[in-house]
Amino acid sequence: MAVKTITGDQAVAYGAMLARAEVVPGFPITPQTIIIEQISEFINDGLMDADFIPAESEHSVMSVAIGASAGGVRTFTATSSQGLALMYEMLFAAAPIRLPVVMAVANRSLGAASGIWTEHNDSVPVRESGWLQVYVESNQEALDMTIQAFRIAEDRRVMLPIMVCLDGFILSHVVEGVDIPEQAVVDRFLPKFSPVNVLDPRDPVMMNPVTPPEFATEMRYQQDRAVEAARVAIAEADEEFAALTGRRYGGLFESYRMDDAEYALAGLGTWAGIAREAVDQLRSEGKKAGLIKLRYMRPFPGQELRQATLNLKSLGTFDRSAAFNGYGPLFTEVRNALYGSGIMVTDHIAGIGGRDITVETVRDMYDIVERSARGEQVRDCTWHTLRGEMQ
Amino acid sequence: MYEIRFHGRGGQGAVMAAQTLADAAVRSGFQAQAFPYFGAERRGAPVEAYARIDTSRIRTKSQVYRPHLVVIMDASLVELVDPTAGLRPGGKVVMNTTHRPEEVDLGAGVDAECGTVDASSIALEALKMPVVNTAMLGAIARVWDVVPMGAIVEAIEDRFGSKLGHRAGILNAEAARMAYDATAVGRTIGHREFAKERRWMPVWDEIPISVSLKKTVHDEEEVGPATTWQHRTGRWKWSTPLYKKERCIKCLRCWWSCPDAAIVRQDDDYMRWDLEYCKGCGICAEVCPVDAIRMVPEEEGGNP
Repeated sequence: MAVKTITGDQAVAYGAMLARAEVVPGFPITPQTIIIEQISEFINDGLMDADFIPAESEHSVMSVAIGASAGGVRTFTATSSQGLALMYEMLFAAAPIRLPVVMAVANRSLGAASGIWTEHNDSVPVRESGWLQVYVESNQEALDMTIQAFRIAEDRRVMLPIMVCLDGFILSHVVEGVDIPEQAVVDRFLPKFSPVNVLDPRDPVMMNPVTPPEFATEMRYQQDRAVEAARVAIAEADEEFAALTGRRYGGLFESYRMDDAEYALAGLGTWAGIAREAVDQLRSEGKKAGLIKLRYMRPFPGQELRQATLNLKSLGTFDRSAAFNGYGPLFTEVRNALYGSGIMVTDHIAGIGGRDITVETVRDMYDIVERSARGEQVRDCTWHTLRGEMQ
Repeated sequence: MYEIRFHGRGGQGAVMAAQTLADAAVRSGFQAQAFPYFGAERRGAPVEAYARIDTSRIRTKSQVYRPHLVVIMDASLVELVDPTAGLRPGGKVVMNTTHRPEEVDLGAGVDAECGTVDASSIALEALKMPVVNTAMLGAIARVWDVVPMGAIVEAIEDRFGSKLGHRAGILNAEAARMAYDATAVGRTIGHREFAKERRWMPVWDEIPISVSLKKTVHDEEEVGPATTWQHRTGRWKWSTPLYKKERCIKCLRCWWSCPDAAIVRQDDDYMRWDLEYCKGCGICAEVCPVDAIRMVPEEEGGNP
């Protein structure tokens, strides 16, 4: 084992190398670019035995990834923001064809107002593309989840592509000490890719044929069940990875100081680290605050979340994007999961377009959730750090 | 509400027929709708189209499963699909055939009032092409008195005239009138047991992951790569190529152009037609620069 001080992007690249990805199509886009640059260096230096395929656009990147995966080889790529948007059409092909492509998404604000900084409005909107999505908090988790992602995606019960989402710049360009697992350990954890369907002229198979109404419902339901089946694969992967490396992430989400909590916040990404600080401060002040670090947007841990929040009076959600229905998308998912539970749910939008989130920002969120827990009337949705009065 | 189902082949104008019937119904003071089965269509492939006619607003958008009237635009379809499926008691059938209603067998259990007409001959005479939709509309007016012939003629002249030119409107109306006069009305009582269609209808966890199919047999039907051979598209055709080998200059244009690869290039570069799969589209005759290929009616026979 060796600890290296590397960026989140480099950590992802190490993950892809250790996972023995065999084909990596790529197209540069900030803040993801370091990932594919690092991989091309690994290949150039003879450390990684893979074909690097520079494509002419992200649409082509995903098309190449689909072709490679359908050819039966382990496939990795990475993108961000507009790049992910340009792949949109092909995302919806990769998932139903059940190709276990792993793609890192260095989250970046999409569209206008143009920015390179982090926001979750690139990856969250494609949660309905059929891809699994995991969000990470640290560079270590970025590396570990890149490896785990292959195992989960390639699980015979799952066979779905997966996005490993890391906050742009906040992880992608920040260096941290990262424990690089031994190749032998990764090899034990991640068996060789054994595809279900392979394009092979000697044994022809028809993939993605025109699927008329007589078959489409059954096919989509099967896809829905595969996402559901990922819950088990995720839990097993977390368990076994912990046994081999000592690092456990909690599967679908991690509960932090939730045992006797009366109120809590739930959210994705690097926000969780800052929220840990806020929770520790609140606890030291005698307040019963807790944290749920949501990790997967798909499969969404609805039932599990309901169980974990049974004793709460109030739950807040942190959204790093808006859904323009008055709330953020994560809030919509969480409140749906908790429907009828009687728990007050409030939304907290912050970190938009890369605006920095501090412990104070998160404490403001907890303050509202605590007031709600006391039965006080509070806003359903608060845009934190907004200048001017909310309407 | 009346529900009408048209069974035709791609190119026979089933959709236009359904739309024109709906148009005629609207002209007669009814509310109406018409639409095709939205599928992958090809010239000659079995197709369906539907019409609904009512005195009040039609709210449903479903396909037609319990028709009051079935229109069979091609007699050979009876062997392939079950055109009278779901026909209501007292429902009627209009069919393009050279036979009289009493001679028509639509399968055991079918007992219905029936109008028959040789719409193909009428279309060839009036329009010089085997597009039978307007002739069938004339036959409908004869058998089924809901939409009057006057409104049908008006709708044909308007719809076909505005789309294909004034003269085409007049000629198509004439085809309808000829069919109206020529339609024999009687009763059809079916006896034959047609082979039951067996389609692969897997439940959700039987479908191979991602619908990726290897060549396999399910419920006697082959699915997967290279199984289109099952679809003998040669049974679709109403015209067939007549090849005059002595005129052929071996330019291969027909061979390149055939959409079904039904033209077989011989060792000597002359052509042979695989009539099991030639659907009679006539593209080969169209591209031939020396008139070595001519399309002739199926019954006159083409090439060996």
